[in-house]
Amino acid sequence: MIGNSDLARTFWEHGKAADCPIYDMHGHMGPYHSIYFPRAEPADMVRTMDEAGVRLLIFSHHSALNSPNLANQPSIAAVRAFPDRLRAYCMVNPNYPEQMARDLDAFDSLFPDVYVGFKFLSDYHQIPLTDEAYRPAWEVADRRGLLVLAHTWGGSQYDGEAVVRKVAERYPNVKFLLGHSCHGAWDAAIALANDFPNIYLELTAIFDDRGGIETFVRGAGSDRMLFGTDLPWFDPHQAIGVLLNAGITDEDRHNICHRNAERLLRPIVPGVVGD
Amino acid sequence: MRFFDCNAFFGLPAKRPLAPVADVAALLAEMDRAGLERALVWHIAQHDVAPQTGNAMLAEAIAPYSRLYGCWTVLPNQAHEFPPPSLLFKQMREARVVGLRIFPSSHRYLANAVSMGELFEAMVAARVPLFVSVHRGMAWRDVYDLLAEFPELTCVICDHGVWGEDRMFRPLLERYPNVHVDTAQYLLDGGIEALVSDYGASRVLFGSGFPESYFGGMMMAIKHARIPQEAKEMIAFRNLERIIEEARL
Repeated sequence: MIGNSDLARTFWEHGKAADCPIYDMHGHMGPYHSIYFPRAEPADMVRTMDEAGVRLLIFSHHSALNSPNLANQPSIAAVRAFPDRLRAYCMVNPNYPEQMARDLDAFDSLFPDVYVGFKFLSDYHQIPLTDEAYRPAWEVADRRGLLVLAHTWGGSQYDGEAVVRKVAERYPNVKFLLGHSCHGAWDAAIALANDFPNIYLELTAIFDDRGGIETFVRGAGSDRMLFGTDLPWFDPHQAIGVLLNAGITDEDRHNICHRNAERLLRPIVPGVVGD
Repeated sequence: MRFFDCNAFFGLPAKRPLAPVADVAALLAEMDRAGLERALVWHIAQHDVAPQTGNAMLAEAIAPYSRLYGCWTVLPNQAHEFPPPSLLFKQMREARVVGLRIFPSSHRYLANAVSMGELFEAMVAARVPLFVSVHRGMAWRDVYDLLAEFPELTCVICDHGVWGEDRMFRPLLERYPNVHVDTAQYLLDGGIEALVSDYGASRVLFGSGFPESYFGGMMMAIKHARIPQEAKEMIAFRNLERIIEEARL
């Protein structure tokens, strides 16, 4: 067995644990050009979630990331098909300010039944998080205290640790989820979490870097870490196995899997988030 | 459920990682903590220092531990840095070394018939497995070129990446019956199930990628994959057992 705790025994035997539901805070959906996905449609993803005890997935459809033609429509349709299991981030692409304006105009009508906040993908869209073009979305999120999941990568001129620090100073009310936790710049990510109480370290792609989980728990605390898998990219059981195998406590695992997410989401989607 | 890892190393890399595993004692402690029965391991000095240096360090370190099997690293032998294949295989058998690794791009050579034909022909004849990492020391194009020249080679392609490299390795699985893939960094949801469905469980080996990856991640993924128990056991340990048994060292 991969760990020596009560949670490890339960997860190892059953694949999930009733007293430790999982909130996956970083997902996608649908096909993507450079990878084969066996299970990228909503029903397939929900079956994966069932098997791993994932209660809720918050995602942005691959089409929303990279096709301004389709924008958020595929995300909206998927949430409406599985309203108890899915919520979406409203994806904004500042390369298309006219589409971004439409997305912001529509936001109120879709919050919170569909959206819980925004998703920014600066590295891919090649516009820094600090750019003026992002300002309308940041201001909406800051005014209302919404979640923003931003792809962040160590050293990036678009969403690296220095850029993150500037926007964190500018928008203190945003619940700022660092997607991939400034991947590779581990100490800088910890410093950001320690300097800004509204920053959370989201763990997609950290689960394959041995030592990362323990480093974050020691440096930032497990109450600042969020479970994420990029589903349909990464198998949630792989991430669970890492959490069980890592040198942390079951209390840390509860924080990472559900407690922190419940604290963030309960004011937004109380019917979906359990007590 | 038993696990036999085909892809783990120990030793201190020149560049310090997040969680180094300095020696075989630390490796065994982590294996015990994860419930891992056996492992086929190599020493990072085989890559970072020199194959001869690392091979000797590996052999000495694993000698007392029957649950550890070794994987040495080789080079082109025009400068006579290694013994001829027959003697190399004898030395491997004596040291409980059951496979070979190459890092051609890191060690600056071409892994082909011109450079290493004698050794690869001997490996094919004796069914000695070759382990390659597309994360460290060998590019996909080089793997394709090597297998085109030695289509019968028993080859395990490791560390094929978190971007789901199916479009890279599936053509090789289809073309070459002795090609296998390991699970290190193959995090793709449903990936194991799709591979088993398309090629059978005999072509997939549990590999952790330790110490850069956790043992527990892919152990959990295999344990709860949507495949029959028999297929899980093949991936977890039986396929590697079979490959080792088939080698005539």
